Parts: sequence; structure tokens; C-alpha cells
Amino acid sequence: MSDITREAPITRAAKWFDPRSRTINMVGFILNRITALGLTLYLCMHLIVLSQLAQGPGAFDTFLANIHNPIFTFLEVLVVTAGFYHGLNGIRIVLISFGVGVRYQQALLISVLVITVVVSAVFAVHMFSF
Amino acid sequence: MSAIRWTVTFQVFRKKGEQASHFDEFKLEVDPDEYVLDGVERIWAFHDHSLVYRHACHHSTCGACGMRVNGAEKLTCITPIRDVTQDGGVVRVEPLRNFTLVSDLAVDMGVMYKHMDLVGQHPVNLDTNEAIQPEARPAGPTVDRPDYLRLSDCIECGLCVSACPITASSPDYLGPAVLAGAQQGGILGDAQVFHLVDSEDGVWRCHSAFECTAVCPSFVDPGWRIMDLRRQVIAESFRQLFGGSNPKETGSKEASK
Amino acid sequence: MSKPKVIVIGAGFTGVATAHDLALRGFDVTVVERGDICNGTSGRTHGLLHSGGRYAVTDQESAIECVDENMILRKIVPQAIEPNGGLFVAIDESDLAYAEEFIEGCNACHIPIVELNSKQALAMEPNINPKVIMAFTVPDGTFDPIRLALAFAATAKKNGARFRTYTEMEQLVIDGQGNVKGIKIWDRARDTHAELDADLVVNATGAWVGEIAAHAGAHVPINPTPGVMVAYDQRLVQRPINRLNKPGDGDIVLPQRRMMVVGTTSYEVRNLDYVPVIDSQVKLMLERGEELVPGISKTKPRGVFTATRPLIGSGSSGRSIARTFKCFDHKETDGIGGLITITGGKATTLRAMAEKTADMVCAKLGIQAVCITKDTVLASYRDFYPNN
Repeated sequence: MSDITREAPITRAAKWFDPRSRTINMVGFILNRITALGLTLYLCMHLIVLSQLAQGPGAFDTFLANIHNPIFTFLEVLVVTAGFYHGLNGIRIVLISFGVGVRYQQALLISVLVITVVVSAVFAVHMFSF
Repeated sequence: MSAIRWTVTFQVFRKKGEQASHFDEFKLEVDPDEYVLDGVERIWAFHDHSLVYRHACHHSTCGACGMRVNGAEKLTCITPIRDVTQDGGVVRVEPLRNFTLVSDLAVDMGVMYKHMDLVGQHPVNLDTNEAIQPEARPAGPTVDRPDYLRLSDCIECGLCVSACPITASSPDYLGPAVLAGAQQGGILGDAQVFHLVDSEDGVWRCHSAFECTAVCPSFVDPGWRIMDLRRQVIAESFRQLFGGSNPKETGSKEASK
Repeated sequence: MSKPKVIVIGAGFTGVATAHDLALRGFDVTVVERGDICNGTSGRTHGLLHSGGRYAVTDQESAIECVDENMILRKIVPQAIEPNGGLFVAIDESDLAYAEEFIEGCNACHIPIVELNSKQALAMEPNINPKVIMAFTVPDGTFDPIRLALAFAATAKKNGARFRTYTEMEQLVIDGQGNVKGIKIWDRARDTHAELDADLVVNATGAWVGEIAAHAGAHVPINPTPGVMVAYDQRLVQRPINRLNKPGDGDIVLPQRRMMVVGTTSYEVRNLDYVPVIDSQVKLMLERGEELVPGISKTKPRGVFTATRPLIGSGSSGRSIARTFKCFDHKETDGIGGLITITGGKATTLRAMAEKTADMVCAKLGIQAVCITKDTVLASYRDFYPNN
């Protein structure tokens, strides 16, 4: 289509994250990618942490002591947010790909966003009150 | 059209040949019900004869005047100025994304045109609303007479291609316009078209952003058509798997719609 | 022996059809156009493929041209045409009184018509004015302006013609004897200048022919006459609906894709490069359109625009000038060799205009070549762009 073959792949991929003046659909598209990266990063960290925890009860107690701070809790809420958004939007995309509810795809996206926000708020309340 | 007059600033993208691009500013007095294209035309006629832009019909049938207005894809001949700015505001006009720039606001859509022919999109079609999903048909008592021929909805304006984030990053992606064209022309009667569509640069490259459907000025709904194509491709593949006959391999040119 | 070189200025209907004919006859053709294809009047036509019924009483020469070319275009470029026929409808007594002249005129011009009573007319087009008294079917149609032109241009290109779009003619190059030998061009896309030489230059710039010819001190009796058109956002009829009466303002409603276009008016303009819309005329289009299709009042305008017709002659009323076309050999009219002008006419007669022009080109350059455009089916309009 255009002369973009001369651009490096990283520059081309960066164009995915340009929401300027596009519709809410683009927001959904970008969030899908950000949450994917976020969850993948979380998974890696989780596995690294688990492997360290396997070194015994002492390591486990130290770990638990360290994560009881607001920053960590906030990040954990983000994991919930990312997980819900990515999961629900994923289901939405699968449905659409099979032709179910294509006409309502934007309404479905907004529902996904709303549910994610509400669920995140509920989790946040619970997690911060421990 | 009224007697109200606004003062708006047009910021127009300029680029000739290998020079660096820049924006030129023009302060215009406009009737807010006039169209963005009218502003561009006045700039050319009275301020800068070197401005290059594409237009022809001025009533959304030719598809030539697509541009980005304040960042969003618009068909400028039917976009009133009041829809994009207010009195004293800015109208930023840029060429479409994802096409090779010819000059200033004009782009080269040659590849898209070539692929439209390749997938067999019919420029003139039977006038039936079955070609689009029921809930997306335009409101109002449009007459639905399947025995009449009508110029098809897609005007090949390229707005969907410009808005598609995948086209921005994947140079070989057929793109929403072409895939919608394939759905309209039919994929089951032609092996070449079927394989073009059922490929990594065909329907499977789409990531369901639906920007294409959002910007289409002509009721084509490319997003829905791409999903419909996926269903057709999967159904056909299942049929193949369970030893059904092979219509796509016969290479007959009979389109299914 | 190398092919004679012809430069065609203008890539509207006249220019592209002429390039197509000349290319088929073996000429080396270069088309120069300051915008893209159909940048001027041609792009803005409401798209009526004339049956000639409109001119059957007042201008039979035009009417016969129309019906003949209509049939040819249906054969050679169906890719750009909605071929559903048209109607002339009588809404009031004045219309009814016109019916007899209309029948006579159409018969004289071999335009096939069928008379319908009001019930039949409403069965065919349920959304026309229920007060319709009677109607006639005619072989009208709707075409897509840019695709019609692109089909001609694509075929011309396949046969060797070159198209230089976004290229403006700055000056005609004139030799010592006052003959045109070429043109100086400004490639607006790259902002460069160059000179092209030619054995003959064809001025096919429609409403602008006077301005172009003036570069050589030549004169063309052209009367550019703009008109307003409005496109509404619903398609309530399947075929062009004409008012059964003498040609007037707003007497046609044309479907095109999912719209209807109502046209048109006539007024004067000073600057051809930008013609403003006149509000009172937009209101007039709505009123007159509603007389034919009352449902228009429930639709919204999708686009309001003007187009400047190239009318030949120096009459006072925009409507009384003949709608036919004319080829001017400036050697004869102004003593300037190497330049001819083709203008006037309407979209439907583009092929015939090109034929006459190419005949004149052949005559002036001493070439014997037969026109075969009547039977040459055109290439896909999409072929114009890929290798530009």
C-alpha cells in the first residue's frame, strides 16, 4: 500500500499505539495490546518469584512482608484490570469472528470497559482494606 | 447554507517531491455549513495555485477527496466545517495514511485499485440490501428491488485503509476495502480469490479494531464483511475436510453474489 | 515514420475520450491535466445518461446525438452505469399539455418511449408524486462520473497514451508564424517546469476553453454556465425522474448509489476556478425536487455543489443555447495553426465529441485512420492507476 517496507519493524509496530482522533474502537485495540504485554510481563515475573520462593519457608515469609505496601497492591489491582479486560475483550473478539453480534461490537466493547472498571474498583477496595 | 460567517484557520499539509513536509496556514471566512473541500478549493483558487489535491464529484460518489481532517478520516466533500471545528477554530488537513504520497494532499491508490480488480469487486451490482447485514442498513424507506442494477456502495475512497492500524504496520495486508470487495464479489467461485483471502495477508491479518467500519462514509461496513469472510472460509475448509466437492478448485468465474 | 504527436489539454470527459480515440488511431498522445481525472465540470455532473427525451422538442440535434451515444455507452462501459431507464412525469396541466409535442419529438429522434397511466407509473416508482397524471418511460440511466472517465483513460493508457496529471499548461509555445508548436507545463506535484512539443494541441478544457485559447490570441464563443445541484441522503427512486415539460430548473431527480441528486439551475460566474453555491437556488432545488418526489423533504442534503457547463454561443439565456458540441479549427477561425478546440456537449456524447475531434486531427495532420470507438469495449476503469 505505502512505502513502509523501508521502515524498521519496530517503527511500524509503534504505529499501532497512535490513538489520535480515532474512535473508541482504537482505544480498545490499543488496550488489548498493552494488557497483553502487561500480562506477559506479569507471568514472567510470577514464575521468577515462584522459583525463588521454592527455596523454602524463610524466603516465602520475607516475600510476603515485602509485598504489603501500597505500590505493590496497586500493581496487583492493575493485573486484575489487565486480566479482566484482556479476557473479556478476547471473548468479544472470538464472538465477532464467528459473526455473532458484529453489529453490536462497539456496544460490547464499551460493556467490556465498564465491567473491567467496576470489577477493578471492587477488587481495589478489597485489596486495600487488608 | 446560511448567512453566518466563521473565521477558521486551515492548516494544510504540504510536501513536494523530496522536500521536507510542512504545514501552511490560511485564515478563511467560511459558512459553517460549507464543506471542508470548499475551503481547500478556495485556498487553491485564491491563495495558492500550487496546492495539489484530488476531487471530482463533490457528492460522495467518486471517492477522490478523502483526507484526514483534524486527524480523523473524512470524505471532505460531505463533511461540513461545523462538524469539525467552531468559530475561530482550526481545520488541520492532511493526506490519508497508508498510501504513497503523490504531493500535498493527494495520494496514490493504485495498489488498492489493482487488488479490487483482483478480488472481483463488482462496481455495478444488483440492488439488494441483502449485501449488508440487516441492522446496518441505512434508515429510511430505501427501495429494495433485487431486479435493478445499482452502483455498489464502495466508492474506493480509501478512508478505511487509512484508518486501519494493521495496514499501518503490515505492507502486504490486503486491507479492509479489498477484503470487503472480495466479500461483495464472492470468494467461493474462484480459487485464486479464495486463496488470496484465506491467507496471512488476507482475513487472518485483521485484528478486529473496527476503525474501518467507523470511518466508512458509504455503508460498506468492512469490519462485518471481513468477519463474514472468515466464517465462509472456515465453513469451506470444514467442507473440504469432510470430503465435500471442491467448487473452489474448479476455477469457475461464477461469483456467489 | 514516428507517430504524430498530439497533446490534449484537459482530462475531463472530452479529453479522455479524445485521447482514447486518438490512441486507437495510432497517434502519440499526451494528456495534460492540472488536477486529477475529472477535476473540473465533468466530475460534478449529476450523472444522467441522457436518453435525449429532455431535448426531443427544443433541440433535436442534441436529442439524436444523446440517444445514439446512450446505446453505445451501455455497450462499451457498463461498469459505470445504472441502466434502469427513466421516467418523464406529468404533474400538472402544463406538463400534460407538453405530452403531444414530447411524443412527436421522441418519435422524430427515434427515442423509444412507452406511455404509462398514473397507476402504472406509481407501480413502477411508488415514491413519485401521487398526483402524477401520466408518464413516459425513456432509456435514461445514471453513470458514475469519475469511473466513466477512468474507463476511457485506462483504455487510452493501454494503447500508449500518456497522462500527466497535476500538470498545468502555463503557456502555449508559438513559433514565428503564429502557429502552436507545443506547451510549457508546470508539474504541480513536483513543482518542476518543462516543455512539451507537439504536432497538434487539442484544447479540451470544457468551460475553460476560452481562457486556454486566449494564450494564443484565439477566441472561442464559450458561455460558461454554472448550476447548483443537491444530493440527498436516501434513494427513494430507482431511475431518473424528469419533469415532462420544457427544460427548466430543478426538473430532474436522479438516483445514484444510496442518494438522489436534484438539479439544476443556470447563472453567471466570473471566476471559473471557484463557483460559490447560491442559497436561494438550493431552496429552489428542494421545492422543485419535492414536486417530483415528495419524500425528499424527509431526507437530508448530503452534498451541495456546483458544476459549470460549457455552453457554446453568445445567447443571453443560459437555457436557450444549444447543448450540442463544436470543434473549432483555429487556423480557420483565428489564423493560428497547430491548435484546435473541442467544447460544448454533455457527458453522454463524449465518444461522439471525441470522434469528431479525432477526425479533425486526422484531417489536419494528413492521416487516414478510421474511428473504431463505437465498438471497442473499454478496459476496467481500475487499470488507470496501478502503474501511474
